[in-house]
Amino acid sequence: MTGLLGHELRLLLRQRIAVPTLVLVLFLSAAAVWAGMAEVARQHDIIARIKPQQVEDVNAVRSWASKDGDAGNAAYYTFHATWDAPSPLAFAALGQRDVAPFVLRVRALALESQINEGENYNAEMALPGRFDWAFVLTYLAPLFLIVLLHDLKSGEREAGRLDFLRVSAINERGLWARRIGLRVGLIAGGLILPLIVGGVLSGAAAADLLLLSAMVLLYLLFWTGLCLLLSRRGMGSVANAASLAGSWLTLTLILPALALLAVNGAFPVRQGVELTLAQREAVHSGWDKPKAQTMEAFFRHHPEWRGTKPVEGGFHWKWYFAFQHLGDLSVADQVRAYRHGLEARDLWTERLAFVLPAIGTQYLAHRIARTDLTAQLAYQDRIRAFHKRLRSFYYPYIFNDVPFGEDDFGRAPLWLEDAEGR
Amino acid sequence: MSPEIAQNDILYHVSLNARPTESIRQYNVALTICGNHAIKVFMTTAPTAAPRISIKDVALTRGARPVLRGLSLAVHAGEVYALLGGNGAGKSTTVAALLGFLKPDAGQILVADIDPVENAERARREIAYLPENVALYDQLSAYENISYFMALSGKEPSRDAMDAALDDAGLQPEARALRIGGFSKGMRQKVAIAMAVLRDVPVLLLDEPTSGLDPRATADFNALVTRLKARGTAILMVTHDLLGAADCADRIGFLAAGQIVEEVVPSKGMDVLALHHRYGEVAAA
Repeated sequence: MTGLLGHELRLLLRQRIAVPTLVLVLFLSAAAVWAGMAEVARQHDIIARIKPQQVEDVNAVRSWASKDGDAGNAAYYTFHATWDAPSPLAFAALGQRDVAPFVLRVRALALESQINEGENYNAEMALPGRFDWAFVLTYLAPLFLIVLLHDLKSGEREAGRLDFLRVSAINERGLWARRIGLRVGLIAGGLILPLIVGGVLSGAAAADLLLLSAMVLLYLLFWTGLCLLLSRRGMGSVANAASLAGSWLTLTLILPALALLAVNGAFPVRQGVELTLAQREAVHSGWDKPKAQTMEAFFRHHPEWRGTKPVEGGFHWKWYFAFQHLGDLSVADQVRAYRHGLEARDLWTERLAFVLPAIGTQYLAHRIARTDLTAQLAYQDRIRAFHKRLRSFYYPYIFNDVPFGEDDFGRAPLWLEDAEGR
Repeated sequence: MSPEIAQNDILYHVSLNARPTESIRQYNVALTICGNHAIKVFMTTAPTAAPRISIKDVALTRGARPVLRGLSLAVHAGEVYALLGGNGAGKSTTVAALLGFLKPDAGQILVADIDPVENAERARREIAYLPENVALYDQLSAYENISYFMALSGKEPSRDAMDAALDDAGLQPEARALRIGGFSKGMRQKVAIAMAVLRDVPVLLLDEPTSGLDPRATADFNALVTRLKARGTAILMVTHDLLGAADCADRIGFLAAGQIVEEVVPSKGMDVLALHHRYGEVAAA
């Protein structure tokens, strides 16, 4: 068997198209892994740089805000860094990481605008898409497979060799199985090898790498099956190539685009920036409302501060932070609807993944790499939890009129590296 | 004592009914020594043995067109049968049916006692096939092509064995390690013939083997066919080449409209020109 495989390998490698195709697969896969790792390294670098800058920033606020001891100044002017460090496999499938922020500096003010205004930072990057390993697998690998499989039998027929070959092979099924297996195996190897190298260098879990490798094989098997199915009709190599190219166009571009368009149409969601505007309008309207009305509305949600000293005079931080907080509460239903809309789209994308392999491959790759919508929403949830800790820290100072000293800056909550920043 | 035959030894030539799938050489045995005489018994397949190629009353339709209509012929071990016929007479269909690619509508085809449609892989172990246009892998050398196709048929011939077969086929030694992309049709055919020799199977199917060969190459090829025949191979040769057929075939069958209309046994002094005219008449009919 090894001998026969060796013969087949020599035969394949002597074909004019095979070596360039296999080299290109390996090159593109390696380049995509390299590009992904460079992007992940850049993100790690940004996160690493944000930490000392955060300390510097807090010290700058501390230097002047601690002088009058007003907690409102400290809470208003101090930014708190949060970040979502990329998973070890993020290099393979960058997913949402290039369009959604992975670093967000938040204050104890109204949160939703802070979360959602970030979505327009890199919106233009969503258009061309990202060249990553998942892209090479989903869109390019089927083309390479088509190049090597479209003329498997028809090429032999056209060369006048088919009958001679069939008569010479005492195990004809074995002959075709070896040829198919070799081609699929070499393309899979070209895709998986750089992934494994990148995964090992990034410290990815072996189980995740195995899962991605299994996904590669499944995806290639689907395309292999399609190649064999369409080639069974006994047409010429050119006709096979044309019908397979048409299938590729339909299955990787047209149908996924139409399906996702349908999903987006079926589950319309307001843009995050609309939430930001709605929340800001609610916050700004706070300036024009009577303070007592604002405070009463706030106390209904936070009765623990009802007994504190009433707001008097023109401005007080507790009134300001109250209407900031009410701004968040005023868009809570919209935030919930926005999130449900996104989750419904995600659920339907997951369902589509079972019938459209291109969507399935990308969806699964992003899921395994933890760069999907779920991961993005989880980061937002961690930010909300952190913001809650910030408010719980500042509110006692603000509502009880406790002086905020220099040491108190050091007591402010920190974004937890492991639990919150991964 | 050596069983080799010495001068003046008494030879007994015994013919047995051998199983048709077994090679003649498997029966060469030395029995015993009687006094000063080594007695060697050559056991060969007898003319009465079952034919290696048997086609009985075969009818076969391709599309809506009946191509074979009750075709019957038999080729025994050590026999060359030349099947001649005009275009569309059914020659290629006969070969395709023998290779198991086409299933007869009626009748029976056996190759080495095996139904080539029902047991295609078993039958192909017994058949070597030389197509009209030998297409091998241009990117491989003659040696590599032989090595590959032999591996497919479950054999791993040594370089010496390949050289011997290529010597037999007449391919010059300096060409054997070269990629066959630049080979002439005759040279390619010699490589394929070497494969047939190395396959060492009881049945050889030749489809227009001398078409496009120059007279020298044709003569060489016919000589090789004669040598293979002497080894006990049953050879069915589909051809237009009456002269070549008359040179090496034991029987010539004229195929017209899907059946044998006339069968002749070539002999020395046969009027080949008259036969040629007769062939023309049959082909025209």
